[in-house]
Amino acid sequence: MSAPVCVVEPPELVGKRIAAVLMEDRIGHYPEFRAFFERTFELAHIKLSRPGYVAAPSGAIYQFVFIGRSGLPFPDGVEINAVVDALEPLDDARVDTDLWAILHWMISGVGGSWSAQDLDATGRLYRLAAAKEN
Amino acid sequence: MLSPAFPAHIRDQWPFAPRFARVNGWRMHYVDEGSGDPIVLLHGNPAWGFLYRDFIPPLVRAGYRVVVPDMIGFGLSEKPAREQAHTLDGHSANLIALLRQLNLNGVTLVCHDWGGPTGLSYALTHQDRVRALVIMSTWAWPSPPSEFHTRIFPWRMMHAPLVGPYLLGKHNALAGRGMYLSVVDRDRFRQRAQAAYEAVLPDPATRLLTWTWPRWIPLDAHARAWQRFEWLEQELSRCTLPALIVWGREDDVFDPTVFAARFKRLLPHAQGPHLVTGRHFLQEDSGPEIAARIIEFLRAPHPGRAPTP
Repeated sequence: MSAPVCVVEPPELVGKRIAAVLMEDRIGHYPEFRAFFERTFELAHIKLSRPGYVAAPSGAIYQFVFIGRSGLPFPDGVEINAVVDALEPLDDARVDTDLWAILHWMISGVGGSWSAQDLDATGRLYRLAAAKEN
Repeated sequence: MLSPAFPAHIRDQWPFAPRFARVNGWRMHYVDEGSGDPIVLLHGNPAWGFLYRDFIPPLVRAGYRVVVPDMIGFGLSEKPAREQAHTLDGHSANLIALLRQLNLNGVTLVCHDWGGPTGLSYALTHQDRVRALVIMSTWAWPSPPSEFHTRIFPWRMMHAPLVGPYLLGKHNALAGRGMYLSVVDRDRFRQRAQAAYEAVLPDPATRLLTWTWPRWIPLDAHARAWQRFEWLEQELSRCTLPALIVWGREDDVFDPTVFAARFKRLLPHAQGPHLVTGRHFLQEDSGPEIAARIIEFLRAPHPGRAPTP
C-alpha cells in the first residue's frame, strides 16, 4: 500500500479544536523513528516553535506535537491530534482508518528493516479492521 | 470476588477477597488465601492474578498460604498513565515493598514472564526469606534474546513507536488476541478466560504497560535493563535455593530447548525442566498439573531443608 499521507502547511484553526487521538511517550525507543520525524518536520531547525501537520487519506488534518524531555534527545514523545470543527464529535471509525494510514506512512518513511508489509501482516494477525481493508 | 463489570463466568472463577497495599506510592491489588508456608505467584505481561486461578485452591488445600499480586499497571492494581512511571527496577521494588509489608518468610516464588526478572530480583536480594523458586517461561540474562523477540513481525512492530499505543492501546491486541495466540486450547481460553484479561484493561490508557514491557527486553548492550539482567544471571549462577523448572512444551516465545535448558545450566541442582502442555501462558492449559507438581516438589526433601508441611 502506498501511503497517501502528506505534510501540509498549518491549517486555519479558528473555529476548530485540537482533539488528542494518539500519544507516544518514547518515540526514540527505536532511534530510526525519531530520525524519521526529525527529517520529516525539520525538527533540528524548528524545534518546539510550532507543531507539524499532515493530511490523511480522508482529507482530515492531524497535528503532531513533539515533546522534549530533559537529558534525552529531542523529540522524546509525540502527540497526534485531530483538527476538527470545534463542537463536532470525532468520527471514531474515520480517525482509526486515518491513524492506520499515518502508521503506514511513518513505517514506510522509517525504512530500513521496517516495512509496510510487516505492519500489514501484524495488523492482520491481530485482526484490525483497518488492516483488512488494505 | 469481582465487580459486576466482569462477566458472571469470570466472577465464578475468581472468588478471592481483594486486598490492597500501598507500594512506592501506588495501589497494588493482591489476594492472600490460606495459611502455612507462603507461595507467591507472579504474572507478567499482560496478565494478572487470574492467570493463577487454577493454582490457588489446590495450593491452599495442600496447606499453603498463597499470595498473588497484580503488578502495578495490570489487573486490579493502579495503572500509571506515563511510560516513564514503569521501570524494571521500579516493578521489582514494588514487589519487594509488598513482600516486606506482608513480612513473609520461607517464601516459594513462582515466576512467569516479567514475574521472572522481578521475582528473582526479590529472591536474590532476600535469600534468607526464600525457600524455593519455581521458574516458568521467563529469562534472567541479557543475551541472546529469544528469537521471537528479535523479529520485527510481529513482535517489534507490535510495540514500535506509535504502533504500540495504536495496536496494543486502542485495539487491546495483547490482552485479547495476543494471549489467545499464546495458549494451546484456544477455544477453551476464549470461552473461559479471555474476557478476564480484557476486562481489566478497558481503555487505551489502562493498557500502557502492555507496550512498555516489551520495550524493556534487552536486544543489545545499549538496552536500559542490560546491567540488571547481567546481575540477575551472575547472582542466579551462585544461587543454591531449591528450584523447579516447568515449561510449556509448545512455548514459541521462550523455546524450552533454549530457555529452560539455560536455567538448568544456571541452576544445575534444579528439578526439571518438566514439560507440560502449554505455549507461553502455560498456566491456562496446565494449571492444575503445575500446581500438583509444585506441591510434590515442596513436599520432597531438599538438601539442608526439611519437607513441609
